[in-house]
Amino acid sequence: MITLKKNFFSALILLFLTIIICFFSAFEFLRMHENKKIYPSKGLSTQTKLSTYFKDLQNTPGDTDVYIFQGQKKGGNLLILGGTHPNEPASFITAVLLVENILVSQGKVVIIPRANSSGFTHSDSQEGNPQGFSLETTDGKRWFRYGSRLTNPIHQWPDPALYINPAGQRLSGTESRNLNRCYPGRIKGRLTEKIAYGIMELIKKEEIHLALDLHEAAPEYPVINAIVFHENSAELAALALMELQIEGFEFRLESSPPNLRGLSHREWGDYAKVRAILLETANASQGRFKGKPSASLIVNGKDKNYVKAAKLGRLFVPFDEKGIPLKLRVARHLAAINALVSGLKELAPSIVVELEKMPPPSLVKKEGIGCYLRAQK
Amino acid sequence: MSEAVIFLSMVAIFAVLAMGLRLPIGVSLVLSALVGSLLGGEGIGLRHLVEGSFGYFDTILIIVSAMIFMKVLQASGILDTITALLLKTFYKRKFFLLITVMGLIMFPGMITGSSTTAVLSTGALVAPVLMKLGLPRVKTAALIAMGGILGMIAPPVNILVMIMGGGVDMPYVGLTIPLLIIVIPLAIIISLWLGYKDIKTIGFDQMKAILPESFFKKYGFRIYIPLLAVVVLMLGKSVFVQFTPDIGIPAIFFVGSLIGLFCGRPFNFFKVTQEAIKEAMPILCILAGVGMFIQIMTLTGGRGWTVISFLSLPPVLLYLGIAVSMPLFGAVSAFGSASILGVPFVLALINKNAIITTSALSAIAGLGDLMPPTALAGIFAAQVVHENNYFKVLRFCLIPALFELFMGIGVLLLAPLIDKII
Repeated sequence: MITLKKNFFSALILLFLTIIICFFSAFEFLRMHENKKIYPSKGLSTQTKLSTYFKDLQNTPGDTDVYIFQGQKKGGNLLILGGTHPNEPASFITAVLLVENILVSQGKVVIIPRANSSGFTHSDSQEGNPQGFSLETTDGKRWFRYGSRLTNPIHQWPDPALYINPAGQRLSGTESRNLNRCYPGRIKGRLTEKIAYGIMELIKKEEIHLALDLHEAAPEYPVINAIVFHENSAELAALALMELQIEGFEFRLESSPPNLRGLSHREWGDYAKVRAILLETANASQGRFKGKPSASLIVNGKDKNYVKAAKLGRLFVPFDEKGIPLKLRVARHLAAINALVSGLKELAPSIVVELEKMPPPSLVKKEGIGCYLRAQK
Repeated sequence: MSEAVIFLSMVAIFAVLAMGLRLPIGVSLVLSALVGSLLGGEGIGLRHLVEGSFGYFDTILIIVSAMIFMKVLQASGILDTITALLLKTFYKRKFFLLITVMGLIMFPGMITGSSTTAVLSTGALVAPVLMKLGLPRVKTAALIAMGGILGMIAPPVNILVMIMGGGVDMPYVGLTIPLLIIVIPLAIIISLWLGYKDIKTIGFDQMKAILPESFFKKYGFRIYIPLLAVVVLMLGKSVFVQFTPDIGIPAIFFVGSLIGLFCGRPFNFFKVTQEAIKEAMPILCILAGVGMFIQIMTLTGGRGWTVISFLSLPPVLLYLGIAVSMPLFGAVSAFGSASILGVPFVLALINKNAIITTSALSAIAGLGDLMPPTALAGIFAAQVVHENNYFKVLRFCLIPALFELFMGIGVLLLAPLIDKII
């Protein structure tokens, strides 16, 4: 009886402790669900939702903001996707920077800053990442989320042991929550597949000509500082590369492997027949060799482990004590977008897109991102 | 304080608490993680402790559901019936018995990519047969643990390769032959090594004497339905994936357990569930503790320091680094080892065929399921044979694990030759 009584009280104490832990930690987890505002420029024509293109996404965590900038003159239609992987901040920040600054004089630009909005609402277990980072703007600090590569399991669960994606590729189960493995999506699929399907529908309905998917990768990943192109965009990618080299940005060209299915640069080209390009920069905060994860690592990109790894020849990108800061990574994305847009002008004059007031990559690289952003209101 | 000092302090505190003060391993892991967080200047790090513990949430559900299923098999008489069937079929044929048993143990692992699933499902089915035919308890557990690990790395579903492949953009294609080259010899050698000496071929009368009660006559074919349901649902979700809804491994085991309620000897389902949870609880605590430990280790820079230290080994010692670090890191989890260390090692061996390299590395990473404190394959194999000290089981796994390690390293070294042949 004594043992039973003892167990009963131990259980009660443990239960009480668990409730307290849940209560206090819940605040931190719930904070991830607060939406950080984006302040569009005057050039914005329409702000809508992805569910406009695929109704099933309405009132789901997969729905996300779509910003449309329509030029006065007719021209080409450009899609820029940021935040496919919310732990790749240069992708999201570049998209935000564009939404908050650009004017479009010819053609149309569609921007989705948080392609996988569910991924912004949680962080990866056992990665120890901060939940966000701040940037100094001219009128104060501005906070941004640092999320996960995958859809929040609260929104899509359980993972299958084996995932066969809509394009037929066999992958580990967690990849069912990776937006960039779920193209061309499924109408009746899981949430992430529905997001992918919604983006495919947007591409069709907005009659997109060139679609860009912004990413980052760990410095030890072979496809880095790269323009990954669908074979229908080989010439465009080559032209852009030349312009980037003239501007002093080193990129490499990577052709989209035909047997690697489910990725944007493959399925956008195959299914929607648009020019499909994915851009990669090097982000130490998502790598396996990273030291102590911190907001500073995300923004300044300095990490002594990566300096060591570079000396050991384990990286696919130069990495020294200066690190690879966020402003440089964003500048690279901006420069690549510029180069691709001007390449398109040269190759297909009937589908020209003219962007104005885009933050100049050289200045972003030099002065930082903050001077092109508004502070949080 | 440097990340190395914090990490080593966490390990030291864990050792003192678990071995010195003999606190439960799960509790020792939680406390050492807490101290690590404090030493790293992160305060109590409540969010990180909770977030880390959720790293094994799916694994915990698989374990709970598989344990309930195993108990249902026992309570309903299904286990005895199948033991009787296997005994009648194989009592005179030692070689075929061992090969068949190894295949049976491996099967759930092959279609789910999980050693735990294999150990707790077919592992539990074959254990009584092996023990009745003379194989000592701990050796039976070792055979089941090794079978589970081989099942995990055998085709068609090898999650470890998928994880490594995902890190280097390698599609999961063309892996069947390289994986079979590794797994088939190991399955034969290990089953014979562990079982051939001790398993006895017996006469009909002796067999009759040890034969457990079969419920086949009483309940007919329906006694096998729970097991068949689990097999069909597992096969469906990996082989006929387009036609079968994926309800997840835990749900498959729950379905099997519920069907078991109506297909054999009546039993108290509530009591069986309670027993299963009680037996699983220590390992569930360990998994939650390991999750917290690894999150704090990463948060304080210890993980990066560990990975870079292994990668700093001179090129001649690279293979030694692989052989030591990948199974060691499996103490966290074999999947974690494949992701954190496997991907950098695939890249370090980029001049070799990545399909063969990842196959071999998966065999080495799989051994992580024998590494304490998690040692999922070892712990559950011990539980299946009712052995309290899983270290006794791990002792008998040592030589078979070395076979697997040498096979993995051998395939890595001979990758160019194997590439030419296949």
